Amino acid sequence: MDKLAKQLREDADQIACNISPELDERIRASLHGITPKPVDKPGPASRPAAFWWASSLTGVAAAVAIIAVVNLQAPEPGPEAANSGAVPLILPTIKWNTETAVLTSPLEQEIEDLQSDLKKAEEAVRQDIDRLF
Amino acid sequence: MSNEAALIEAAKKGSATAFANLVHGYREGLLRFLVTRSSSYADAEDALQDTLINAYRYLHSYDSRWRFSTWLYRIAINNAARLRSADTVELGDLRDDESDPLAYCIAASDRENLWQCARRQLSDEVYTAMWLRYVEDMSVNDISAVLERSASWTKVNLMRGRKTLDAELNKDATDDKSKAYG
Repeated sequence: MDKLAKQLREDADQIACNISPELDERIRASLHGITPKPVDKPGPASRPAAFWWASSLTGVAAAVAIIAVVNLQAPEPGPEAANSGAVPLILPTIKWNTETAVLTSPLEQEIEDLQSDLKKAEEAVRQDIDRLF
Repeated sequence: MSNEAALIEAAKKGSATAFANLVHGYREGLLRFLVTRSSSYADAEDALQDTLINAYRYLHSYDSRWRFSTWLYRIAINNAARLRSADTVELGDLRDDESDPLAYCIAASDRENLWQCARRQLSDEVYTAMWLRYVEDMSVNDISAVLERSASWTKVNLMRGRKTLDAELNKDATDDKSKAYG
């Protein structure tokens, strides 16, 4: 056990707490006053087979009715619909003066160094953690 | 079947006495932990009572693959958090001995108790992880289960907690040396 762990244990031991007789009595009384929930909850009562037939038929009938209503109420396409959205959208072309960035060797070297440092730091942290736990 | 397993089975069948015997050995440790996480001693006692009642009521949901203490601590942490959510006092702000239940329970000493310092400097979860590790001797996997975090999260945050408290411990040692040399 290292110094910190030992100190933490000692300091926790210095926290003096005990269960007073009143608290003990309170806890016992409250435990006797409740009943634990049962392990297996009974499931809902099964429904008769006719219920499932009836609900399926109701569902099918409702779907047919909705399809019929939607088809009857659908508007016919007007003559103007063919022309809508026919105006061509002309966007001006912008000429960008751009150049492809080329990493110079000092920058590449810098990135490699940073990546190497990062790997070393990760390795050090991993070793510390493995050593402790 | 171990004694604890037998008590759990009896308690599941409705024996309050079996449950009281089952949790008897855990109560003091739980109260000590709750005192450090509550803004008053009465709150800690209430949280302990709620923890035990909830544990008894929902004992059917206990998974025997985990240690019983792991499950109890999970409930205790939830109860402490629920009580504190209604409280406007931040634990880190409790400085004077009269209002702070932790300071009230600590014997007079010439240096600050590390757990007081931990409460001020660490987040709730890291504090709890440190307590479970160094006071309750829980494994990283058990701590992860209590906090509902990954094992890597637990390891990294235990490491951070250690670094913070190590610095504090070394600072105290340096201060003592300075005093000794005038």
